[in-house]
Amino acid sequence: MSIPAFLVTESVNALSQAALLFFLGVGLTLIFGIMRIVNFAHGTFYMLGAFIGYSAARLGGFWFALAVAPIAVGIAGMLFELGLLRRLYRRDESAFLMVTFGMALVLTDLIRLGWGPEALQVEPPGAFSGVVMLMGEPFPTYRLFLAVSGGVVALVIWQFLERTRFGLLIRATSQNAEMVHALGVDVNLVRSAVFGIGCGLAGVGGVLAAPLVTASIGMAATMIIDAFVIVIIGGMGSFPGSLLGAVLVAFVQVFGEYYLPDLALAFMYLVMLLVLVVRPGGLLGREA
Amino acid sequence: MRNLYALAVAGILLALAPLALPTYGMTLLTEALILGLLAMSLDLMVGYTRLISFGHAAAYGFGAYACGWLLLHTSLPMLAAIPIAAAMAGLIAIGVGWVCTQASGVSFSMLTLAFAQLLYAVAYKWTSVTGGSDGLAGIPRRPGPFGLHLFATRDGFYYLVLAVLLAAFLFCRALVSSPFGAVLRGVRENEAKTRALGYNTRLYKIAVVAVSYGFGALAGALYAPFAGFANTELLFWLLSGQVLIMVIVGGTGTLVGPILGAGFFLVVQHQLSNYTEAWALFFGLIFIAFVILAPEGIWGFIRTRFRRAAPETEYRRGVAGAR
Repeated sequence: MSIPAFLVTESVNALSQAALLFFLGVGLTLIFGIMRIVNFAHGTFYMLGAFIGYSAARLGGFWFALAVAPIAVGIAGMLFELGLLRRLYRRDESAFLMVTFGMALVLTDLIRLGWGPEALQVEPPGAFSGVVMLMGEPFPTYRLFLAVSGGVVALVIWQFLERTRFGLLIRATSQNAEMVHALGVDVNLVRSAVFGIGCGLAGVGGVLAAPLVTASIGMAATMIIDAFVIVIIGGMGSFPGSLLGAVLVAFVQVFGEYYLPDLALAFMYLVMLLVLVVRPGGLLGREA
Repeated sequence: MRNLYALAVAGILLALAPLALPTYGMTLLTEALILGLLAMSLDLMVGYTRLISFGHAAAYGFGAYACGWLLLHTSLPMLAAIPIAAAMAGLIAIGVGWVCTQASGVSFSMLTLAFAQLLYAVAYKWTSVTGGSDGLAGIPRRPGPFGLHLFATRDGFYYLVLAVLLAAFLFCRALVSSPFGAVLRGVRENEAKTRALGYNTRLYKIAVVAVSYGFGALAGALYAPFAGFANTELLFWLLSGQVLIMVIVGGTGTLVGPILGAGFFLVVQHQLSNYTEAWALFFGLIFIAFVILAPEGIWGFIRTRFRRAAPETEYRRGVAGAR
């Protein structure tokens, strides 16, 4: 394989990985920005998306699953916020740590009881199941589709945050919730909605990841820490930061795996360490 | 005085445990005490200094690997290998603490996680020293010095763990009630103010990280000869999360609470997994119930039950409310 072709295919590969990380990271960072909580159950909502996606795909195909599963996951997340987290806003972060950690355990077991312990194969949609030629090399179409959809979703979220009234409310609440409240906005509603949207985005990630890695019980644990790392690298609460972190980590993972496979496991953490030592608030974070 | 009585009663009850418990129970209790030591060491950071470490598995795993390596590749007796491993961890932790305390809050937690995961990656790849994914196996409880055989047996080892835990507890209790501990609490409540009073809070934070990691490694160093093996799971982030949960379940900033929390965690996990396949489901529900029903943890719950004044607890609640 020629060097340019190698670079291009591996870069697209990295971008498809970045897309999956981004779907998780963006929800985590939005939720942190608004509520100042670290959602340990986020990976489990991603996994829930994959399993609901599996069932929905058997009913009505992949595109039906992609439409239905994120909404279902978003509703589940919102119920979690309404039923439990809302009672805890006056408490310190250890309460959220326990509740979201507990929720991750509960939800994981519920998924195992509901769908069984085996990994479930989800077929990619027909149009994206083959390979395309990229710089004269065959490349899985589905990965290309993932990379593009990551870009599209990032663009949509960005426009949503910048151009809509609700996006404005989200940005305002993350800057000064009390002021927003004083101006007559129901901040609790914003919180529930953001939590639901964040979980729904994790659900999108789950549905999209399923054809690649199958829907399995282990998928949450492997993704959640990576998602934390990208959010921290980018800066907690920063939307562009989560995008930057996802791309950076994905490239480090993909190229690190190729050039220095022995260090691949450690690379991501070395990057995080470097970033945090230089900028304790993350690359695009506000607080130092 | 009441505290001392309670401690003496607890010590005597634990010392008599081998007479009453079956083999399985003794193994579980020994492991609970080891994890109790680990959780207590983390409480120095989390409960007294509000440094939320999310990488305490690094201390535990390092201690286990270091002690295991010394027992496998040198002729040192177990009683020497254990403190050497702990001291090594404490020394290295000075550097770790120096880096991690550059940041605060969530960034601090993530830096500690980064170190733990780096160590995990090293243990996974450095096969010639760590055994890679197999880990170190067949770690002996080498007797000595002077042919001292006492601690090699099951009950003897239990007494060793109990003695270490008691000594560590008394040390930590003295530490947190000393002027040094007062500065740590000052950092917890208001670091800027403590700095303004003339304390170099960074040095205090580095010191508490070193002590905490040292005791965490002591727990790991006990675990290696207890279990006879050390593997990468001891370094994985999941363990860091679990230890943090033990501390919170038990009650942060109490030293006793985290020990109870570790015992509770381990016993409930074992019992539930005996009865039901879906033990994690009930386990998770128990955590959630704890947060809502017993916000101050097991120890806080016990203390309020016995109507013991807990001024520190009220003070802390005030701080959390003002956030």
